[in-house]
Amino acid sequence: MSEVRISAEPRDTFGKGAARQLRRDGKIPAVLYGHKEEPVHLALPEHELFLALKTPNVLLNLDLGDRRQLALPKAVQKDPVRRSIEHVDLLLVRRGEKVTVEIPIVTVGDVVSGGLLEHTLNVLSIEAEATHIPGSVEVSVQGLEIGGQILAKEVTLPRGAELVTDPEHLVVHVLAAPTAEQMAGTGAEAEPEAGAGESETASPEAGEES
Amino acid sequence: MLIPRRVKHRKQHHPSRSGASKGGNELAFGEYGIQALTPAYVTNRQIESARIAINRHIRRGGKVWINIYPDRPLTKKPAETRMGSGKGSPEWWVANVKPGRVLFELSFPNEKVAREALLRATHKLPLKCRIIKREAGEV
Repeated sequence: MSEVRISAEPRDTFGKGAARQLRRDGKIPAVLYGHKEEPVHLALPEHELFLALKTPNVLLNLDLGDRRQLALPKAVQKDPVRRSIEHVDLLLVRRGEKVTVEIPIVTVGDVVSGGLLEHTLNVLSIEAEATHIPGSVEVSVQGLEIGGQILAKEVTLPRGAELVTDPEHLVVHVLAAPTAEQMAGTGAEAEPEAGAGESETASPEAGEES
Repeated sequence: MLIPRRVKHRKQHHPSRSGASKGGNELAFGEYGIQALTPAYVTNRQIESARIAINRHIRRGGKVWINIYPDRPLTKKPAETRMGSGKGSPEWWVANVKPGRVLFELSFPNEKVAREALLRATHKLPLKCRIIKREAGEV
């Protein structure tokens, strides 16, 4: 995976007021830590960081003025509605160092007719060299019959990557697609209807803890 | 319809409407979902109505997850009643939804049908929402 160069400025103002001012100026507050070094508080350019973080586990080459540092995004805080980045935790890494990261699982191939693919695992934890982290791992579901499953140990990992997730963990399985009757039956039809005027019957009086 | 079996307090204060959702903001199970953009109290009837709207549109071959639960009672005093004499009787069960929360998730092979099903469900809900999709390679 290629590195993304990004300029970083050290910051010495903290708290929500300073962080909001930074965001208004088109910068994102970040913190860089790892290798038992003192944490460094940074401000990163918003747009460049946004583009860089579109790639999962992107390796950032931070330009701190007098020196350069390699870092991996460890935690990204996003606004749930606007999806803008609010803060980033960066983990200091060195070339050749092995790191544990989560990579996305991408399924390829068509599911057998009448089957429904269910993902129980969307990311796979692997250990890989910081400079050679795979972008994703492909899982082929072509020809997988109903009731068929793929476990974590059956996923072909890229060279140099080792599995950290439990090898017996289920990744995907194919269920028999629910029929129309089954779909209509899901929910809580068995429970009594609680209309606006009937709420007393369905009220929790009987169930209230004493 | 979804109703709690037993509750600790039959009549509660109104849930807080301020702030954004702190968890459940991403797709966890399905490939498509409905995400809230405004705060709202979603009643159990509305949840059921939205669920039925999805199921009737996709008919078969899909799976629906409901990520919210109406665990907060709201009370109402009867009409033409003088003030006082205590709090009204429980009338609705609501889920306190805040912006960002994923309300429903759907797994279905056909994207067009899945989006239409979720769109029909959004029409049953008392809030602004958007349909989201899991992107390939998303962590």
